Amino acid sequence: MRKTLFALLILAMTAPLHAQRLTIDIPGLADKAKEVVDITLDSQMLRLASKFLSAGDSDERAVKAIVSKLEGIYVRSYEFDSEHAYDPAVLDKVRAQLGPSWKKIVNVRGRQENSEIYFDMRAGSDQPVGLVVISAEPRELTIVNIVGPIDLDQLSHLEGEFGIPHMSKKGANDHE
Amino acid sequence: MNLDEELKLALRRKEPPPRFRDRVLAATKQRPRKIWRPLAAAALLTLVIGGTTARYVEQRREGERAKEQVLLALRITSQKLHDTREHIHELSK
Repeated sequence: MRKTLFALLILAMTAPLHAQRLTIDIPGLADKAKEVVDITLDSQMLRLASKFLSAGDSDERAVKAIVSKLEGIYVRSYEFDSEHAYDPAVLDKVRAQLGPSWKKIVNVRGRQENSEIYFDMRAGSDQPVGLVVISAEPRELTIVNIVGPIDLDQLSHLEGEFGIPHMSKKGANDHE
Repeated sequence: MNLDEELKLALRRKEPPPRFRDRVLAATKQRPRKIWRPLAAAALLTLVIGGTTARYVEQRREGERAKEQVLLALRITSQKLHDTREHIHELSK
């Protein structure tokens, strides 16, 4: 009994350090889509990818630095032939998984496009340990879940490389 | 004893030891079996090297694929963050 309590105590103490992986799969959506991007990279795959990122190349070294700390990258992106091919309510299942540590940093609601950005801000951590991006357009739906500490400084170093657009880190978190 | 006598003594006809013929014939019969040993070793070595190489090539392919996926994932993420930022700028105008 005492051992179980001790184990639970250890678990409770270490739980905040572990970022949360969300279930971002939406059943049936891929069948309706014209194009699907389905990326699932757990920590093992990230470590493997890391080995193939050149330390000699400064751009790849920057990616390597980001990836080495992450526990997972999950991307689901769907492009549809027609507008309103999906029910926006399906995203509620993703939002419902976001616990109290998740902070909505950006919420943009336009006529055509809705964007939401969430950071997982755990107590004792000075940087986000998780990121969720939901981008919903009439013909396109993208959900990104990055698990692990995200260094925005390092991410901003990737601007202009590998087709990554220029972006200031201020721009990503100065609106709520 | 001079050299000639020594040579004659050394090269004189000797009868083979008993069962010498049988032993030679038996050894000759066993010889083909021994040939398979290096062949089997070579085949095993080829399999091991081939297997290791195939595993290395597969691992490399998987690694390259993982790398491409990482870059694509970061590209999509950054693109969406960028689009959101642009959207915010448009709305704030």
